[in-house]
Amino acid sequence: MHSGRTCRGGRFTLSDIKLTVDGEAVVVPAGSTVLDATRKLGRSVPTLCHDDRVDPMGSCRMCLVEIEGQRRLQPGCAFKASDGMVVSTSSDRVQQHRQLLLSMYMSDHAIDADGLPTERGVGNRLRSHVLEHGHGPTLPAIEAPRGYRDEPNPYIHFDAEACVLCNLCVRYCDEVEAVSAITLAGRGAGTTIATADQQGLLDSSCELCGGCIAVCPTGAMTEKPSRANDYREAEKVRTTCNFCGVGCQLDLHVQDDRVVRVTSPDPGTTVNDGNLCIKGRFSYEFIHHDERIMQPLVRGRDGNLWPATWDHALDVAAKGLLGVKARHGADALGFVSSSRCTGEENYLMQKLSRAAFGTNNCHQCAAT
Amino acid sequence: MTNSIPEIRDAELLFVIGSNTTEAHPIIAMEMKRAVKNGAKLIVADPRAIWLSNIADLHLQLQPGTDVALLNAMAHVIITEGLVDQAFVQQHTVGFDTIVDATRETTPEWAEGITGVPADDIRTAARLYATTKHAGIYYTLGITEHTHGTDNVYSLANLVLMTGHLGVRSAGMNPLRGQNNVQGANDAGASPVFYPGYQRVDDPAAQARFEGAWGVDLSPDPGMNLNVMMKAMATGDIKGMYVMGEDIVLSEPNASKVEQGLNSIEFLVVQDIFHNETTRFADVVLPAACFAEKDGVFTNSDRRVQRVRKAVEPPGEARADWEILCDLARRVGYPMPEYADPGEVYSEMAGLCDKFAGISHDRINAEGGLQWPCPAPEHPGTQYLHGDGPLKGKAEFQATAYRPSEELPDEDYPLLLSTGRTLYHYNAATQTRRSSGAMARQPRNFIEMHRRDAKIRGLEDGELVRVRSRRGEVLAAVNVSPRMKRGCVWMPLHFPDSNTNRLTNDAGDPTTQTAEYKVCAVVIEKLRAAAK
Ligand code: SF4
Ligand code: SF4
Repeated sequence: MHSGRTCRGGRFTLSDIKLTVDGEAVVVPAGSTVLDATRKLGRSVPTLCHDDRVDPMGSCRMCLVEIEGQRRLQPGCAFKASDGMVVSTSSDRVQQHRQLLLSMYMSDHAIDADGLPTERGVGNRLRSHVLEHGHGPTLPAIEAPRGYRDEPNPYIHFDAEACVLCNLCVRYCDEVEAVSAITLAGRGAGTTIATADQQGLLDSSCELCGGCIAVCPTGAMTEKPSRANDYREAEKVRTTCNFCGVGCQLDLHVQDDRVVRVTSPDPGTTVNDGNLCIKGRFSYEFIHHDERIMQPLVRGRDGNLWPATWDHALDVAAKGLLGVKARHGADALGFVSSSRCTGEENYLMQKLSRAAFGTNNCHQCAAT
Repeated sequence: MTNSIPEIRDAELLFVIGSNTTEAHPIIAMEMKRAVKNGAKLIVADPRAIWLSNIADLHLQLQPGTDVALLNAMAHVIITEGLVDQAFVQQHTVGFDTIVDATRETTPEWAEGITGVPADDIRTAARLYATTKHAGIYYTLGITEHTHGTDNVYSLANLVLMTGHLGVRSAGMNPLRGQNNVQGANDAGASPVFYPGYQRVDDPAAQARFEGAWGVDLSPDPGMNLNVMMKAMATGDIKGMYVMGEDIVLSEPNASKVEQGLNSIEFLVVQDIFHNETTRFADVVLPAACFAEKDGVFTNSDRRVQRVRKAVEPPGEARADWEILCDLARRVGYPMPEYADPGEVYSEMAGLCDKFAGISHDRINAEGGLQWPCPAPEHPGTQYLHGDGPLKGKAEFQATAYRPSEELPDEDYPLLLSTGRTLYHYNAATQTRRSSGAMARQPRNFIEMHRRDAKIRGLEDGELVRVRSRRGEVLAAVNVSPRMKRGCVWMPLHFPDSNTNRLTNDAGDPTTQTAEYKVCAVVIEKLRAAAK
């Protein structure tokens, strides 16, 4: 069950829990994990395999903390907080563990010229953890036989070299999207992520939601069309998806006046809880498509549509509509508004119909 | 929606009817999957074995167009087994007796004969729904796109009222809006009978309010809705049209008739971002900006008003729809104010509608989306409606009776066609047809059918066939699918070169005039090897 969840509907609350983290007291709702408590205090406990939307797995060992009375370090994401617990997130023992662990991850990860885990345009948490916590001795690089053939799906690129096998993409696909299109495959150092039956993604149950990309902490899963774009150079503009009526919030990444990538705001912050479907995440090619109408057009005597200036096109439109009104009355005009347009535009369309032309023949294009 | 999307995960029971949620509303479906994982019961009523039916406790696979029979049988069970929430009915409703009368004979056995759903499953569904507190109904076009769409909605509302599933968290009556801003367009008065904020045009007080604000005399006569306008073009009652952001040829039923109408009117203005089937008929085409190129708000299914923000410039000379509309109004002599930005337009509307009076761009920018009703700037917005009883006085039960759909299969047209949307494409698909993923998955029109229906006609999976109705014909690839019932076929609405709406029936619901996209009769013809 999802951590931090108190009870059905939040209608009754079990008693809260008091504990101490790094010497500071904190109160959390029953059912919370140690990680929840550290986050409530704003402690930065590193994680790789954790996401609030899936069951904790505790496999990456990044979030180990010291808990009084426990002989071993414990994973904060899976360990339940309890009354009176005393937790340390930055003791020497914890720091030592982190640095050694990061060394081990680095030995199995592409390293750049600065000796840091390679950045892949979308951020790499392994890299930021190393920058924040340092690393231990450099270990010999592991030569892993991870074959991965590029495949024809248009959106999802997988780079096995950057994969830390946190399994988050698989768990997301399983537990949140619930289609189980991908899985851990192979064994030992050759373990990797693949489709369930080794087919291409397009032949699997994958719905191309891109959730696996969004949860991947290291940039092993990335979006093919935007691989060349560095996320740090883009300006993000928060907006609302223009497809279905769920109203998912989107961040459009803008570079050189083009939308180059779309992501969801963080989980827990908007109605879509960090999730998007194929349309919201990937169907943005149309924005800069060269078939967009770029000029006003007016039908000529020859029966064809010809480019015109705005001034001329608006003039023809106004005269044409006024002409119909003069000949047949205002109620011989119809105004079709659009559920694809904004609220303000719908308001203006009905105002145009009612106030400027005098008819209530105005309707939007969808009944539900 | 009476309730909110984030409440779904805490529901104890979900009754999903006429909604292929995983494809039409994927992120709402995720919340449903999460609820089921948390132990909620799921009842799916749908003619097709849609994805959600795989994880459902109960799948009521009814014959298309027989929803009223199913729902009235459920009401019959709830009433006869004493499962009615008497206190709620007494306190908050009127007209319960009419339902008792109307459902006296609608036994599950009677409904089984019409719907094909086993009587015992109807009983189980009714009991589960009536006896679970946090039980919500979710529906979409599968309920409304029928000649008896209004009756379908009333029948659902009757179930909600008699069981008191209103004003409760994770319950209620929840239409999922098909398009991003259907809710917002309705809210803003893009309706022949309502000014913004659901104020009737034939209510003199509302008329006076808007006349005062807009400085002109207004017509008290309700206008034509879209389906009526489409027919009125052909009969000569409509002579000029202004169409913004909609491909009426592809999206409206009985496409050939729409085309005839467009050919016969005197003047047509189309404002859109791509050429489409409708721009072919236009006298003037005005290039518009897409959502990423303008500011404003969209209102989603749970009444949440959220910002749309300009991220990039429109291409070429394209302009935002709001600017074009203002310019055109001034050209025809109406003094539209010089709005500095859409935020000022929103303020004008909010000032005329109590429901949105507390909402502004500034507030949304600071606080995030706001759910109406939100009557004042300090009001937090409303997560679920009717928290203290239905809004206005008492809710009225509306008795309904099962009527067959307008056009049912017969000897000449033996198959029942339903239409709808898929995950990968979106409506007229002017946007998704330009997406590589959607095209990789679904490049062309198809017709889903049962294995046996394909076999008796000698059809292979993937074979191209001609599908014909009384109104037109299209070509589509056979898709043999375990989702279908025998005798029923299904087609998507997204492909202009094979426009499924050449087949559909434009017969409308008597109240809303919403057309019957979900039921019509067709015949499938094998193409001769020689023919193309
Ligand atoms: S895109 Fe979505 S469905 Fe496909 S593998 Fe990734 S998470 Fe699973
Ligand atoms: S991302 Fe998908 S589910 Fe969300 S609003 Fe857009 S189309 Fe709907």
